[in-house]
Amino acid sequence: MLLWKKEEVRDLFEAVFFFLAGFFLALIIGWFIFPIALYSEHRQPIDFSHAIHLENVEGDTLEEKCLYCHEFYEDGTFSGIPRNEKCLECHDPESPLGEDPEEKRFLEEYLSKGKEIPWYHYFRQPPCVYFPHIAHVKMAKLSCKTCHGDHGTSDHLPVYQENRISGYSRNIWGKHISGYKKNTWDRMKMDDCAECHRKMGHEENNTCFTCHK
Amino acid sequence: MKLTRRNFLLSLAGGLVGINLTPLPWKLMDDISIWTQNWPWVPVPERGRFYHEKSVCTLCQGGCGIKIRKVDGVKDDRAVKIEGREDFPVNRGGICPIGAGGLQLLYDESLRFTSPMKRAGLRGSGNFLNISWDEALEILAKRIIDLRQKGSPEKIVAIDGNRKGSTVSLLIERLMKAIGSPNYIRVPDMEDTYSVACILMCGREYPLSFDLENSDYILSFGCGLIDGWLSPGRVISAWSMWHGELKEKVKVVQIDSRASDTASKATEWIAIKPGTETALALGLCHVIVKEGIYDRDFVKRWTFGFEDWIDEKGNIHMGFKNMVLKRYDPEKVSEITGVPASRIVSVAREFAKARAPVAIFGREKGDLPGSTYEYMAILALNALVGSINRPGGILLQDPVPLKSLPEVPLDRIAKEGLKRRRIDRAGEKEAPFTHSLIYRLSEEINRSKRSPVELLLVFSANPSYTLPDGGEFKKALRKIPFIVSFSPFKDETALMSDLILPDHTYLEKMDEVVWPKGIQYPAYLLSKQAVKPVYNTRHCGDVIIELAKRIGLSKAFPWRSFEDVVKYRAKGLYEAKGRVSWNGEPPWKIKRVSSDYRSFDEMWEKLKDGGLWYKPSDVYGKYEFMTPSKRFEFFSQTLMNYKDSLKDMGIKEEGDVAFMPHFEEEDYPEDYPYRMVIYEMINLSSSWIPSPPFVYKTIFDNQLLKDENFADINPKTAKELGIKQGDRILLTSPSGKIKLRANLTHIARPGCVYVALGFGHTGYDEFIKGKGENPNWIVWGKRDPISGYKIWWSVPVKISKA
Repeated sequence: MLLWKKEEVRDLFEAVFFFLAGFFLALIIGWFIFPIALYSEHRQPIDFSHAIHLENVEGDTLEEKCLYCHEFYEDGTFSGIPRNEKCLECHDPESPLGEDPEEKRFLEEYLSKGKEIPWYHYFRQPPCVYFPHIAHVKMAKLSCKTCHGDHGTSDHLPVYQENRISGYSRNIWGKHISGYKKNTWDRMKMDDCAECHRKMGHEENNTCFTCHK
Repeated sequence: MKLTRRNFLLSLAGGLVGINLTPLPWKLMDDISIWTQNWPWVPVPERGRFYHEKSVCTLCQGGCGIKIRKVDGVKDDRAVKIEGREDFPVNRGGICPIGAGGLQLLYDESLRFTSPMKRAGLRGSGNFLNISWDEALEILAKRIIDLRQKGSPEKIVAIDGNRKGSTVSLLIERLMKAIGSPNYIRVPDMEDTYSVACILMCGREYPLSFDLENSDYILSFGCGLIDGWLSPGRVISAWSMWHGELKEKVKVVQIDSRASDTASKATEWIAIKPGTETALALGLCHVIVKEGIYDRDFVKRWTFGFEDWIDEKGNIHMGFKNMVLKRYDPEKVSEITGVPASRIVSVAREFAKARAPVAIFGREKGDLPGSTYEYMAILALNALVGSINRPGGILLQDPVPLKSLPEVPLDRIAKEGLKRRRIDRAGEKEAPFTHSLIYRLSEEINRSKRSPVELLLVFSANPSYTLPDGGEFKKALRKIPFIVSFSPFKDETALMSDLILPDHTYLEKMDEVVWPKGIQYPAYLLSKQAVKPVYNTRHCGDVIIELAKRIGLSKAFPWRSFEDVVKYRAKGLYEAKGRVSWNGEPPWKIKRVSSDYRSFDEMWEKLKDGGLWYKPSDVYGKYEFMTPSKRFEFFSQTLMNYKDSLKDMGIKEEGDVAFMPHFEEEDYPEDYPYRMVIYEMINLSSSWIPSPPFVYKTIFDNQLLKDENFADINPKTAKELGIKQGDRILLTSPSGKIKLRANLTHIARPGCVYVALGFGHTGYDEFIKGKGENPNWIVWGKRDPISGYKIWWSVPVKISKA
């Protein structure tokens, strides 16, 4: 019959304790501390309300309204975040359109000085990725929301989180550190592109050279 | 509870298990891999809005419209891509590999001179010291003034590789005149041979003009139509038109000793013994004459010397008809050329019966001169079927109507100097119709004890590398006391220079293409400064004007800048009422257009911006030959005026036949039984412009492997010599040897060995130099009769295993 000595029991208990301590500590680090440490946070230079702008720009549908500022150039390339040139179509550097102090700051610090706002880009893909907006918006008729979620209707710009290692926005990997995804706009990794192509019956677009030219 | 060693390790083990149950390792791996893509030295495309500067490519004289892509807001106005312009009638969107890689010629610092320099080390060592523009110009001006004061301005020689008739070349010629030196020497190309043939048969020089787009049967005598011939942008878009857009079938028959890309893609390929094209052309004439299928109306009304004729003194002369009937029956031609007699007959019939046939000439890219009798024979072939100044044929028309520059005022020294004999003796009895003979220049220098050249100026040329002269010029350079290069690039000739006055590269300056090579309508193209000069370089045209002022010749150069001179010449374009914008209508389809400018200033601004002036051709059906008979002369009376110097010109034939196109067999030394044939590739530059290093990525492993280039040999010939694929071989000609590797291929003709031009540089940078050997170094041959240029298209060689 096997009898456990007292010391041996304590020993075992101790071993299990230390093992689990390491185990749980790692879980805490991996699930909670790591995501906090991985990203640095930046406030945008100017706060911007997409909601207010949506009310004031022309367009019958939401997409048309978005395209009013985030336009396509004649050659089909996408403008991305508009430059001052676009803002000047409505804003006058001399007199603000509203009472928001942020607008006033924008007019004084940037527009009147001819300085572009150094925005942080939430949705910028690495340079090795060729992503034509026009193929997705005009040909596939995707709505902006499919990839960008509610960003286009938000009242304030969220804090920009930058991956300290890769230098890219957190929106690419997604908010959930595990990569968990509920909506199409939760992540913007290659697998997400591929998943959608597959669903839409465009498996042929998943060849390497389609995006990595 | 004690943290013993064991417990510590256990907690680590727990941590290890735990961490793998979190996203941390996977996420880190992903981030690190992305991080590696973002190292600062990894090239990435610039971000921002694209825009384009419209301009014209002047790397060759093809005249393609290009647009230079730039990114808004990127510093230094950096260009990121070059594309072909769709709104341009010459290339209609097309661009060649060299043109597409052109940005490397602009930004690759190791290819370029970044400032004026003077030689610091030994000649050719490549050691130079940066100096100021002021100092550089002063050094040169002083040397010129010295030589002029000594009364020997003729010892100043200029070598000019710019296109004949371009503003820069006129300025260089003008400078030489004003200095008082008759020794203005051009780097010859096929247009120079064409000029000689035209003078003899049509009475004067004409711009090279083939109405290819309107033709339905193209008989190409070795022209590398899709291998970069004349204007690659234009010819390749014509090629795709022949093979796609048109309902009518266009036949392309390629006469070539090698199954080049053009031959492989042509409708038919005629494999010919290299250097016997003249005989084939005359054989075709024989069949056409014998069967009576020539254009009787044209021959009767517009030609001279077809039938036998009697001169003023009552002497009877043989005509072209009897000459070809007697000498060039298909059997005999077959023996000379290796083309079956039945093939000669069938091609001749097809050619004569086609709606708009044209026979074209200019071997490979058309960068090198050809055989005068061959060009004459091909002109005669066109004349027989009436394909001169007819849609689809060869067009003889006036040059671009640019205003001529005023006469050069000459001082006493200049007047004296210009009376001296040219060093190359061009225009004398040995080559009476040739304006300059660079081969003779090197010969004279190499022969003399003391170089007859004291000061050599080199403009837009790299004769050390590009001349197929067996290395004669390279040798001559060593003997010249002082050499000045205006090249923007560290080419072989520039590296032998004592003083460098670097020009801008093509994207940094205004430059022109006066009549894109071979197109059928007058056009004048003007490139613009699409990118601000990156280095301390200056426009060669401006430097010449400044230099003239320093020498005290400002009277001859009453302009402030190069642009002033171009503007002065453009007045002629204004008066000719052409167009400066293209409405998409092919200029070869329309007869007349309305001018799209009202004032000179309007034209000038549009020309500077869009780079294009053109006018549809109006010579269809018009014949104005300037020969003694005022007709096209099958029998050249102009040449007959020089009948006493036939031997001097290198013509073996005596009597009437000498004045008509005829074939003369080359004498090759018997102990050199094989023939080396030089060919050119569209993806490798063989001109004075270096290849952008990018294009080396497009070279196959059986063309260049590491630092060795290949010679194409037929497996049958290789077997005779015991040579296997990849073996190292030695090609020996009477003037030297080169070492290459053998590529066994059926595209090569048995008995011949094929070597590409464009390898074997010793200048430029690590990506270009030391790659293979240059076949020009072992070119050996006689002079082409009449023109005096060197024969390079068939070189006698021995082949041995190395």
